[in-house]
Amino acid sequence: MEKQILIIDDDANLRESLYEVLELEGFKCYQGKNAKEGIELAKKHNPEVLITDIQLPDSSGFQICQEVRKFSKEVIIIMMTGRFMSSDEKTQGFQLGADEYLTKPFDIQELSVRIRQLLSRRGK
Amino acid sequence: MQEKNRKRGKLFYKLLLIFLIVSLVPLGIVGYYLISLTQVTLNKAITRDQEALAVGFSDTVSNYVISFRNILYESAHLEDFYTMNMEKERSMVNHLMQVHSAFLEISVINALGEETIRMVRFSDSNKTRDFINDPVYRKVMKTGEYIGGFEKYNGTYPCITVAIQIVNPNTSYAAGMVMAKLSLNSLSGLLKTSFPDATHTQAAVIDINGFLIAHSNPEEVLKKNAKLPDEILKILLQNDAKSGGGEIPLITGERVLGAFSEVEAFGWVVYIQRSISVAYQASRDMLDKTWKVMLLVTVFVLFLGYAVSIVITQPIQALREAAIKLGEGDFNYLPDISIPNDEIGELAHTFMEMSDSLKVKTAEIIDAKEQLEKLNRSLENRVEARTRELKSAQEELIKKERLAAMGQMASVVSHEIRNPLAVINNSIYFIKTKTNAQPNPEPKIVKHIGIIESEIRQANGIIDEILSFARSRDLKPKVTNLHAYLEDLLMSYPFPQHIQLEKHFAGEHFMVNIDQDEMNQVIRNLIKNGIEVMPEVGKMIIRTEWLPDDTVRIDIEDTGPGIPKDVLDKLFTPFFTTKARGTGLGLAVVKKAIERHKGRVEIASVVGKGTCFKFALPLYKGAMPPPPPPRA
Repeated sequence: MEKQILIIDDDANLRESLYEVLELEGFKCYQGKNAKEGIELAKKHNPEVLITDIQLPDSSGFQICQEVRKFSKEVIIIMMTGRFMSSDEKTQGFQLGADEYLTKPFDIQELSVRIRQLLSRRGK
Repeated sequence: MQEKNRKRGKLFYKLLLIFLIVSLVPLGIVGYYLISLTQVTLNKAITRDQEALAVGFSDTVSNYVISFRNILYESAHLEDFYTMNMEKERSMVNHLMQVHSAFLEISVINALGEETIRMVRFSDSNKTRDFINDPVYRKVMKTGEYIGGFEKYNGTYPCITVAIQIVNPNTSYAAGMVMAKLSLNSLSGLLKTSFPDATHTQAAVIDINGFLIAHSNPEEVLKKNAKLPDEILKILLQNDAKSGGGEIPLITGERVLGAFSEVEAFGWVVYIQRSISVAYQASRDMLDKTWKVMLLVTVFVLFLGYAVSIVITQPIQALREAAIKLGEGDFNYLPDISIPNDEIGELAHTFMEMSDSLKVKTAEIIDAKEQLEKLNRSLENRVEARTRELKSAQEELIKKERLAAMGQMASVVSHEIRNPLAVINNSIYFIKTKTNAQPNPEPKIVKHIGIIESEIRQANGIIDEILSFARSRDLKPKVTNLHAYLEDLLMSYPFPQHIQLEKHFAGEHFMVNIDQDEMNQVIRNLIKNGIEVMPEVGKMIIRTEWLPDDTVRIDIEDTGPGIPKDVLDKLFTPFFTTKARGTGLGLAVVKKAIERHKGRVEIASVVGKGTCFKFALPLYKGAMPPPPPPRA
């Protein structure tokens, strides 16, 4: 069964390109353009993986993290950022339920391998 | 100067006054007392002397008259007289007249009162007179003799009458009398001789009525009705005493010392007067001498006072001059005095001690002042240096702020570029995957996909550099074993095959407190630079060494072409690069990170031989952290 990945980013091109390459890698993907839409999709499809940008127009990736963790302990949350993250920020994110950080631009193959690794560790 | 003289004079005059009072006042009192005493005594003595003189002279006068009376008496008792032998009488009288010039005329009167002989000196009048009723004759015939009857003979010469009874000694029968007019002119001569003009003494003999009998100035007697001045006469005639003396004020205003003595036999008075000024000459002389002595003593005392005050004031003056010199700061000036063994000596000694003490104190003050000035200068220098430092720090700050602003901008730009870069990356991955999935992919497309991927990596690298330079997060230092840390880092670094790595680590272990993330970046950047300048073959030497200032130096040395000197200085400047593609931030990041670790970095480079980056980090001196768990 294909693993489902929810991508949340306000940049349509990035969302689309990521969607295409992850589909190519054999994942079932959904796209959300903001936090509100993303949380709704997460509730609806209950994806295995959630990739979200930290900066969103209506909210932040950390808040999505917090919201999603309220109803799902299982989902693997990967945070995307274009800027440098301090370890404090990272720690804060981990405490809110984030699993992994990704600095743009990222290597798709590397990401793909990392996702499968995380999934297999959770026994899925 | 005025002030000085005035003060000095004061003391001088004070001393003089004290000496005068101390020495002259008692002397003056005693002197005055003695003089008064002496004058009184002298005056009394003189008065007494004068009185004695008067008494003596009264005897003389008496004796004078008596002597002539005796001559007459002797004659009257001769046989020739009482027998009334005319011839013999006449020759006897003649003889007497010739021998004694004082006899002006001598007469012999018989018992009948008839003048038998009359011999007159200055005339030939032999006219005899009848004396039967003459009171003198009667008196003589009754009592035996008569002396008196002062008159001016011929109206000029003073004379008296001396008459002696002619007695027959055998029968005691009065045969008559011999009578003589006795000139008293000789008395005046006697007085004149006894009291010459030079003695300023006048002497006189007066009869009971005050008429002059004799005078030391004979001319006086010759005057008609010659008398002494009334004021004198008054004293002389009213006095009951036989002799006396005292001061008499004359009408002329002159004061005289007068003395008198009565000539008892005749009721005459001898009077001697001397001018007071003459009489008291001796006492005045003595007074003068005393004054002279006092004057001498005064001069002597003044001189003594002057000398003493010089003795006293001179050292004080010398001390004063020394004090002035001292005040002017001349500590080596010694007062010009031989120090006496007294209070002034003590004062001088104390002064010297004070001078010495002042000298020391002043030297201390001057020293302190110099030190203060030195300190001031050094402070000024320090302030100047600090100002320079502050200025350069300010410039540095401005530069840093500019760089920070630039970095911030770069950060924003980089971040915004990352998104499209991520999209391109994703898309090229998609294309690459699709292309490779085809049975015979076009080789040129595959090649270009590779180029795009490489450029994306490059662009990403540039962004990484800019962001790592621009970011300013807080350091997260961790106490680290330097050698173990370096080993790990070098192990994980992908050295190319043509680079030979050499490690020269010091023998001991160094503990450093470092932020490993930043230190990674430093060392990686330096290694990366080294590798880049050795494209063919080369050696990379990593060396550690302890430095005496408790730092550890880490060298990263390459055997590349070296860096020219003009470039060397600019190497750490941000955005300076010699590479075809480079941000010029690599070494700037290195410098910033090392400085954040309180370290220092420098470059040694020899063109043609290679370059060595040396950076020193302070050794960790705090408590050792728990030993790390043993590594697998």
